[in-house]
Amino acid sequence: MVENATPTTPTEPTKLVLYIAGQTPKSISAIENLERICAEHLPGRYRIEVVDLRKSPQLAREHNIIAIPTLVRELPTPIRKIIGDLSDSEKVLVHLSVGD
Amino acid sequence: MGQENPALTAELRRRLEEAEETIRAIREGEVDALVIRSRAQEEEVFTLEGGPEPFRAFMEAMDLGAAAFDAEGRMLYANAALGDLLGLTADEVLVRGICSALDPESAARVRDLLARGATAKSSVEIVVGDGRHVQVSASPLRVGVTDAVAVTLTDITSRIRERASQESERAALAILASANEAVIVCDREGRITHANAAVAAITAESPIGKTFSSAINLTISGFSAADPGSEIVARAIGGTPVQGIEAAAPDAPKCKDLLISAAPLRIGSDQISGCVVTMVDLSQRKTLEQQQLLLMGELDHRVKNTLALVLSIANRTANSEETVDGFQTAFSGRIQALAATHNILAECSWSSVRVAEVLHQEVGPFITTGENRLRVSGPDVRIRPRAAIALGLVLHELATNAVKYGALSSPDGVVAVNFTDNPESAFFSLEWREADGPRVAEPNRFGFGQTVITRSLQYSVDGGAELEYPSEGVRCTMRIPRADVVGA
Repeated sequence: MVENATPTTPTEPTKLVLYIAGQTPKSISAIENLERICAEHLPGRYRIEVVDLRKSPQLAREHNIIAIPTLVRELPTPIRKIIGDLSDSEKVLVHLSVGD
Repeated sequence: MGQENPALTAELRRRLEEAEETIRAIREGEVDALVIRSRAQEEEVFTLEGGPEPFRAFMEAMDLGAAAFDAEGRMLYANAALGDLLGLTADEVLVRGICSALDPESAARVRDLLARGATAKSSVEIVVGDGRHVQVSASPLRVGVTDAVAVTLTDITSRIRERASQESERAALAILASANEAVIVCDREGRITHANAAVAAITAESPIGKTFSSAINLTISGFSAADPGSEIVARAIGGTPVQGIEAAAPDAPKCKDLLISAAPLRIGSDQISGCVVTMVDLSQRKTLEQQQLLLMGELDHRVKNTLALVLSIANRTANSEETVDGFQTAFSGRIQALAATHNILAECSWSSVRVAEVLHQEVGPFITTGENRLRVSGPDVRIRPRAAIALGLVLHELATNAVKYGALSSPDGVVAVNFTDNPESAFFSLEWREADGPRVAEPNRFGFGQTVITRSLQYSVDGGAELEYPSEGVRCTMRIPRADVVGA
């Protein structure tokens, strides 16, 4: 059983933070892509927080955000960042390690 | 070589991967905004796409003139419509700036606007070279990390002209509708914008668009200005009303005498937008005044003549009558004869009377109504007052003689009067012929009566009378000068 153990509890939801900048085309696209991917691959097991850095630029500090849009996997740890509009679903899933 | 710290190595590797991923994402266009830390150590977000370029394309497509200036007033951008509006090429706009196309006052106002526009939205109206009105608006703008001022130029000429023309139209129509006299409206430059129907009596051509003095030629006695029309209009536009000046318009088709007033025209605001000139037709009043003057002169002349005549009749009657009773009868008879002719002349306003009318007026009182003792024949004519008065006196003397000594002193006597009008002749003649009365002998003494008969009509060489005394009855031929014969 020990070798089958995973670093996280399967029941713990994935917590994601998506940093956007108002209504830029990539920001809008990132929100749509993330919602679609989560709905398809993590049904009921995710929590998304969207942070608009145009309204609150100081929130960029917490995850040292430089480029927008950026998706941060806050939980499970370790923290991972995916930069871009999340149009490449495979790449997103690899980085989120969903299906590991 | 120190001992490797695996945790530190992992962290560094993670950071390196993250940095490489960021650069790759930027290079491959997967991001469209960056977070940049300002000098004040505060994060700011700048978008990469959706920056000025799409908006620039959008602004070039607009009809509105648009430009952006930095905080120091340097032009960052200007669209093509702005150059068109100011009559400058795109290069001229960039090199010389928009103020180069403006007069000094407008340029100063635009510079002031740019200074104010950095903090708050503001606008001014200016007039550009070709007379077009332009509204310039400025408001704060952020271009990237730079504070700037957005400026738009809108051509509002047609709007202003339309507004001005609507205002003047409304006012002028109201004024014209309520005016009977000639009314002309001038704009601030003194050009006629409106004229009502009554103006046609003063100028045959349409005065619209002309200056007042070129449309209507006025002369005003005692007016110092060389061009009185322009002077009156200029005074009114300057705010000083002009009231009731009598003027002559020698070129006018109908109304040549006018009473002119002019007043400033204020529409909506206190600003004077022109003037209203009203012209009252004085022609009729002038004609009446002249007629009255003529009549007064004529009356004076006639009164003097009549008094002189009365005085002469009194003197001459006194000389020829031996008793006071005789004087009284003869004098009052002659004055009544004069009054009778005056009466019929007054009825026709002293124009002309018929000879037969004078005859009946003077002889009628001596003949009983219904008796056919006065027989008139021949064509009657109208004669002027001078001849009528003289003829009246002559006929009065003939009638009183006939009553005293001639045909009218016996019951059967008759008087026949024949008119002869030969147009070739220098006079109109009447022949007085008595018959069937007592036999007549030439008197051995001639009184004033005979003088009246023979001399009264001699005021002209063509006038006069001859008195004869054949035994069958007195005969008198009278000549009325042609000059006093008006017609049939």
